[in-house]
Amino acid sequence: MLDLQGCAAAPAGFSFSRGAGWGMTRSMDRMSRIADTDGGRAVLAELLRRTADGDQAALRQLYQRTSAKLYGICLRALGNDGEAQDVLQEVYVTVWKKASRFDAAKASAITWLSVLARNKAIDFLRARRAAPDDLDAAAEVADDSRSALEVLEQSQDSARLAHCLEELDERARAMIRSAFFDGATYPELAERASVPLPTMKSWIRRGLLRLRGCLER
Amino acid sequence: MTEKREPNEDRAALAAEHALRLLTGDYRRRAEMLESSDPAFAEDVARWRGRTAPLFGEVEPVDPPQILWDRVERATAGDGRGSNVVILQRRVGLWRAATASMSALAAALALVLLLQPGRVPLSQQPQQQAPASPPLVAMLGDQQRQMKVVASWDPNAQQLVLAVAGDMPADPRHSHQLWVIPADGKPRSLGTMDSARQMHMRLADALAELLQQGATIAISVEPRGGSPTGAPTGPVVASGALSRA
Repeated sequence: MLDLQGCAAAPAGFSFSRGAGWGMTRSMDRMSRIADTDGGRAVLAELLRRTADGDQAALRQLYQRTSAKLYGICLRALGNDGEAQDVLQEVYVTVWKKASRFDAAKASAITWLSVLARNKAIDFLRARRAAPDDLDAAAEVADDSRSALEVLEQSQDSARLAHCLEELDERARAMIRSAFFDGATYPELAERASVPLPTMKSWIRRGLLRLRGCLER
Repeated sequence: MTEKREPNEDRAALAAEHALRLLTGDYRRRAEMLESSDPAFAEDVARWRGRTAPLFGEVEPVDPPQILWDRVERATAGDGRGSNVVILQRRVGLWRAATASMSALAAALALVLLLQPGRVPLSQQPQQQAPASPPLVAMLGDQQRQMKVVASWDPNAQQLVLAVAGDMPADPRHSHQLWVIPADGKPRSLGTMDSARQMHMRLADALAELLQQGATIAISVEPRGGSPTGAPTGPVVASGALSRA
């Protein structure tokens, strides 16, 4: 499970794509990587910790450093400015309330925030579509804490995920990406691809299990 | 579905599907239930969130408009010094207050039910309940929420009385629906709740016989007007078991 390869790779872009590892890997991470991430990772984790203590100045700094990324995620899922802004606001209000749920030993701060933003955007999408049978919005009203505040990263990086996605057949890859970025559900994906629901499910499931196999190799 | 999979494969796939949020309907509810009740499954889901996270690297950052921080600041400044601890303490305080008033309420309700068994005209009482059964009470709530509900069940009158303490979250798009979950584990609807502090409902025989000691009374959040499927579709916001008053 320990993936030292992931440490060696130096993908461009966001610091969260370099994995948080476990045990030894993680301490190696710390020592060797903080420099090449501009200390970004540690700084964000510290800002989240201070936010959890009720420090609004820390929230502001966190916002300054991460809002463009999270806004990009919301925009991609929702497709329009107004809604993306509403969701982004909600994301930071949730961060304000729930920052104590972040565990730096399990995931990087930017990953945690990105997952939160994606989930909030999808909550909003589902509420907008108001499918009576799928009221994530209702879940929202009752409980914020349940939706996706738990994130566990292993030492993997974007290059490795990209490689493993490459190993999938194109169909499965496209569908998984679509689900990830647009928040599409099984029925929506099946409709878009004009295939029966069970067909879509089996494409994606097989793809996901293969993906896991490759990432854990 | 025709494909054959090992049960643990099936679970692994479900965790991935849930993390990606592909699921709808019963599948989603099953995954949510597992996530909150099965730590191994929850960890699997969390791990999938981590596994797919590198994809975020493909998203181009876009600067939100300047005013958005002002909105965030306003929305978070209301909490004064706003620390989670403060919020938590406030919640605990409210909960304690609600619990205290609820206990008093429960006692009062039980007394009323015990002392006034004849409130309902005899003619409306079902014949088969002839030997008087003791009233049952359920305290609905959990520690996180600010809403507490006491449900008192008088089997002789087949009357359920609900008293709400604390804040019942109101949202025009949703209704609160009341359920009984008897020993077979299958929730049956007792109807939607209005916003009144107290509600009286007389239950039909078929439902009345499900309200036995040990049965769970629960409130879920549903689309306006109640669950479209006849089973709970939203989260349970409060629940408690019926026991002797």
